[in-house]
Amino acid sequence: MNDYLPLVGMIALVIVFVLASFVASILLGPRNPNSAKQAAYECGIVPESEPAERFPVKFFLVAMSFIVLDVEIVFLYPFAMVMRGLGVFGLVAITIFVLVLLIPFAYLLSVGALAWGPVAQVIREIVPVRRTSVAVLDPALTEGTTGQAA
Amino acid sequence: MNALFAADPLFNGDGLWGSIFVVVLLKVVIAFVVLLVSVMLYIWGMRKWIADMQNRTGPANAGPFGILQTLADGIKLFFKEQSIPSSADKPIFRLAPYLSILPAFLMFCVIPVGGKINVLGHETYLQVVDLPIGAMFILGCSGIAVYGVMLAGWSSGSKYPLLGSVRASAQMLSYEAAFGLGILSVLMRAGTMSTREIVNQQSWTNTDGILQNLSNFYVVPAALGFVIFIIAAIAETNHPPFDFVEAEQELVGGFVTEYSGIRFAIFFLAEFMNIITMSAVAVTLFLGGPNGPMFMPARFGQSGWVNGTVVPILWFVGKVLLLTFGTVWLRASVPRLRYDQLMAFGWKWLIELAVLWVLVTAGILVLGDRGWNPAAAGVLSFGIAGAAYGLLYLCMPKSGETVEEFR
Repeated sequence: MNDYLPLVGMIALVIVFVLASFVASILLGPRNPNSAKQAAYECGIVPESEPAERFPVKFFLVAMSFIVLDVEIVFLYPFAMVMRGLGVFGLVAITIFVLVLLIPFAYLLSVGALAWGPVAQVIREIVPVRRTSVAVLDPALTEGTTGQAA
Repeated sequence: MNALFAADPLFNGDGLWGSIFVVVLLKVVIAFVVLLVSVMLYIWGMRKWIADMQNRTGPANAGPFGILQTLADGIKLFFKEQSIPSSADKPIFRLAPYLSILPAFLMFCVIPVGGKINVLGHETYLQVVDLPIGAMFILGCSGIAVYGVMLAGWSSGSKYPLLGSVRASAQMLSYEAAFGLGILSVLMRAGTMSTREIVNQQSWTNTDGILQNLSNFYVVPAALGFVIFIIAAIAETNHPPFDFVEAEQELVGGFVTEYSGIRFAIFFLAEFMNIITMSAVAVTLFLGGPNGPMFMPARFGQSGWVNGTVVPILWFVGKVLLLTFGTVWLRASVPRLRYDQLMAFGWKWLIELAVLWVLVTAGILVLGDRGWNPAAAGVLSFGIAGAAYGLLYLCMPKSGETVEEFR
C-alpha cells in the first residue's frame, strides 16, 4: 500500500495550499459586509423568491441513465484486463451484456427522454363543425383538437 | 501482492522512513509546484495566443512579454474581499473549491513524465505515483470533479449558480460515459491499467522506421477512441466550444457567480489545471507519453542523462504543449454550441459510437488472437456494430416527430 502514500501527501499539500490562501486572503483583504453585498445576485434587483426547488425531470433522467451506463463501464474495465484470456467466450458474453444494456437505452431514446431540442410546435387542426343536434348542444364533442406536430 | 502494489522501484525495499520518505515528499512538492507554474504559464500563453489570433497584443506589461500577468492577477485577488451570500449554505460553500481543485492535482499524479531517475541513492520513476489502477483512478478523479461544480452552485442559494450547476453537472455526467469508454479502447489493447505500463507498450525503438514507431502509439490503432476521448475530455473540462458552465449571456457567471476573491481564483485555477491534466492524460494514453526519437544516440548513448532523462521529459512537455495549443485554437475559433446540440450529440452519437467501438476493438483483438484474417475480423465487427447503431438510429425520434414530453 506504500504506493498510495504520495497521493496522501498530494491531498495534504493541496488542502494546506487552499487553506493557506483562504487564511491569507482573510488577513489581507478588506472585510466590510453589508446587506446589499450579501444578497444573492439577481442582476441588481432584490430577489423576491427563493431559487427553484423543482427542476425539469429530464435532468434526473439524464442522471439515472448515466448511472446505468457508468455501471456498465465499470464492468467493462475488468473485462478489458482479462479479455485476451477469455477468448471468444468473453467476446460473446460481453456483446450480449452490452446489447442488453443498449435495449433500455434505445427505449429511452425512442420516448424522447434524452431529446433536448426545442418543444415541437403543436398545431391545432380545426375540424369542420357538422350541424347536428349534438354539435349544437355540446360543441366540444365535435369541434375537437387533434394534436399534430409541426 | 507484489505485482499489485509495489510498481514503483522506490518501494521495493523494506521500510518507508528516512530517505525514502524524503524522496516521496520531494516528488510530491516538485509535482505540485510544476503544476502551479505550468497553469500560470498556460493562462498567460492562452491569452497571448488568442491575442495573436485576434490581432491584439495581449498581456504585455507584467514582466517580460507579460509573462507574470497571471501571477499579478492572482496576487490581486488575495487583496479582495471574500463575500458569502447570506442565503448560502456556508460549510458546503467553503468546501466546494477544495472538491474542485483536488481531482485536478490528483489526476496528474499518475501521469508518467519521464523515465527512471536516481534520487538520494534510490531509483524511482519520474511520476508521483504508479498505481496499478491508474486509468481507473483518472476516471474516478474526473467523476469527483463534478461534485465541486454541483455543490458550488447548489450551496450558493442563488438562482443563476443553481441553474448553471445543474446544467453543468448534466453535461459532465453525459460526457463522462464517453470519456470512460474512450479510455477503455486503449486499456483493451494494453491489457493493463497502469499508466507506466501503457506508456512502456508504446515504446520508440531506434532500429524501426518512423512510421513503424508512430503506429506503436495507440492513437493509430485506436484512432476513433482518441477522437471520442478528446471530444469527451473537452466537454468534461468545460472548455469551449462546450463551455456552458460560463455561458455568461444565459447564466451570468454560472456556478461561480457568488464566488469572489481567492475562492474564485481557486475555481479558475482548477479549470485551467484540468485542461493541462487532460492533455497529459491524452498524451499518456494515446500519444506515447515521454516516448520519442532519441537525440543522437551514437554520441550520447541510449540511457545516459541526455537520452535517459532529459529527452523523454522534453517529448512529454512538447506533446502536452501541442494539445494545449489545440485547446486554445478551439477557444479562439469555434463558437459555443447550443445546449440541446451538446446533449443530443453526447447521447445520440458519442456514447453509442464509443460503446460500439469498444465492441469492435474487442472483436478485432479476440478474433485476431484466434488466427482470423484482420480484415475479415474487422469487417465482421464493424458490420455487427453498424447494424446495432442502425437499429438505435431507428429508435431515435426524428425532427418533426412528436414525442411524449418529459418536462
